[in-house]
Amino acid sequence: MTSPAEPLNTGPLNTGPLNTGPAIPGGEAPGKEPPGAEGPPALVVSGVVAGYGGGDVLRGVSFEVPQGAITCVVGPNGAGKSTLMATISGLLRPRLGSVTLHGEPLTGRSPRQILNMGVVQVPQNHSLFKDMTVRENIDLGGYILSDRALAARRMKAVFEMFPQVAGWAGMKAGSLSGGQQRLVEFARALMLEPKLILLDEPSMGLAPKILKSVFAAVRQMNANGTTILLVEQNARAGLRLSTRGVVMENGTVRLSGTGREVLEHPEIGALYLGGAVTSAK
Amino acid sequence: MARQIYEAIVDGILTGGVYALMAVGLTLIFGVLDIINIAQGVLVILGAYLSYELSVRAGIDLFVGLLITVPAMFIIGVVIHWAFLRRLRGRERTSMTLLVTYAVALIVEGILYKVWGPNYVQLKASYVNSSVHVFGFYLPYIYIYGFILAVALIVALYTLLYRTRFGRSVRATMQDETAARLVGIDVNRVAALTFGVGVAVTAVGGMVYGATSGGFNPNSGYDLISRLLAIIILGGLGSIGGALAASIFMLTLESLVDIWSPNWAIVVFYGALVVVLVIRPTGFFGRQAVRAQ
Repeated sequence: MTSPAEPLNTGPLNTGPLNTGPAIPGGEAPGKEPPGAEGPPALVVSGVVAGYGGGDVLRGVSFEVPQGAITCVVGPNGAGKSTLMATISGLLRPRLGSVTLHGEPLTGRSPRQILNMGVVQVPQNHSLFKDMTVRENIDLGGYILSDRALAARRMKAVFEMFPQVAGWAGMKAGSLSGGQQRLVEFARALMLEPKLILLDEPSMGLAPKILKSVFAAVRQMNANGTTILLVEQNARAGLRLSTRGVVMENGTVRLSGTGREVLEHPEIGALYLGGAVTSAK
Repeated sequence: MARQIYEAIVDGILTGGVYALMAVGLTLIFGVLDIINIAQGVLVILGAYLSYELSVRAGIDLFVGLLITVPAMFIIGVVIHWAFLRRLRGRERTSMTLLVTYAVALIVEGILYKVWGPNYVQLKASYVNSSVHVFGFYLPYIYIYGFILAVALIVALYTLLYRTRFGRSVRATMQDETAARLVGIDVNRVAALTFGVGVAVTAVGGMVYGATSGGFNPNSGYDLISRLLAIIILGGLGSIGGALAASIFMLTLESLVDIWSPNWAIVVFYGALVVVLVIRPTGFFGRQAVRAQ
């Protein structure tokens, strides 16, 4: 492992509740590496300390997200996963440390500036503007594009990539199911042709049947060349989908490796994945 | 008697238009920013004084003067937001804005007393005291113009909100501030501009109020704000169309009761608010309905 994270087995793991969740319906079989070429680091998180009010939630988080890969961050509730996402997207400013994208610092920049650099976040809670139509929502994904003709071309491309979303274009976003809203959020995220998409628990609240299409959409976005950083409570599903895995605990990175390494790690398997991975088909 | 009732209804509708002019800014600011702007009443009076100054000192027509007072009030609104409101954050924000905007009201009132003194003044123009005879009723021109202006202003605000890129950013911020930031909307800029627009429309309301009220002084804003708050609560907080509907409903009701007992008219004004809220707690166009407009 070349990750800057702490080595494996450095201490007791938090055995707090973690939704091991159902396996991805139709997902990759355990042991088979998911698609997605792994390249040099696109995103480097180094020694990040961040939190709300007076407290630190992240206490020196360091890891890398390889170019073109899907990297999944797992960990129990309170580990700091969503705080990490907010810090990368600029919603929260870190107190210490740095975040860089292809060597360019993201730290200290506004969410709009970070969007301009090609990083888009799909937050944990559904973030569609529910009383606007799907078309209006997707158009807002290109809000920072001053060239409206370009925005129109991007929307056409997004609708071609997600034809089912095109079918909902005239519907109010709030009238869609949770899974449908997720797909619209993905489509909206693609309006800027981002270099990196941050997906914060895309499976949250979704039925297993819906998960299949949501994770298929994640794979599709990655196959089209977008690097993805995924936070997932459904640890097994997230790691199976990913080329890289990062385990967080109490605001620090507990370990990292390939998705398969993390999935097959005995301690992680026992504590976070509900027993041996191979038994959870 | 029937004639008196018809007159009361016409009077209520026209006066309701005047109140709608003053209430739309208040409800817009609440709808987008969750700020209950207690200073709105005093700002209406400031708008009236600006029209007065242009009319008396420079001889500029009241309606033409709006070309100056509306931008001036917009700038004042943006400055108030920048100086007093933009830093307020957290769970107590809405209640804090009550206190802060009350402080702003006191500051503005103090300035008004300093500049114009305590005496009542009234806006004057040829159309303020003249009327047109329609279907047996004498309708004051200023009320007709005020009503037309109210409808035009509400159409303009809807156009701004639903047909422009800025409007889309306002509606997005209104629905989910965090999601708006994540698509690149500068929510602080949207907040400042929205507050500016909400205060700018008080210039229009202030001019018509100053011409129809029979006189105003720096203290007149307090009676206004209590009525305006009742109107926007009844209309549904954040609903621009609701502000017009509630203004017409409340003022017509007050006007009708005034036929029998002027003393009870004001009681019925606020009593109607309580009754409607018991039946429909979100007002005529409550938040859910507002979002669906």
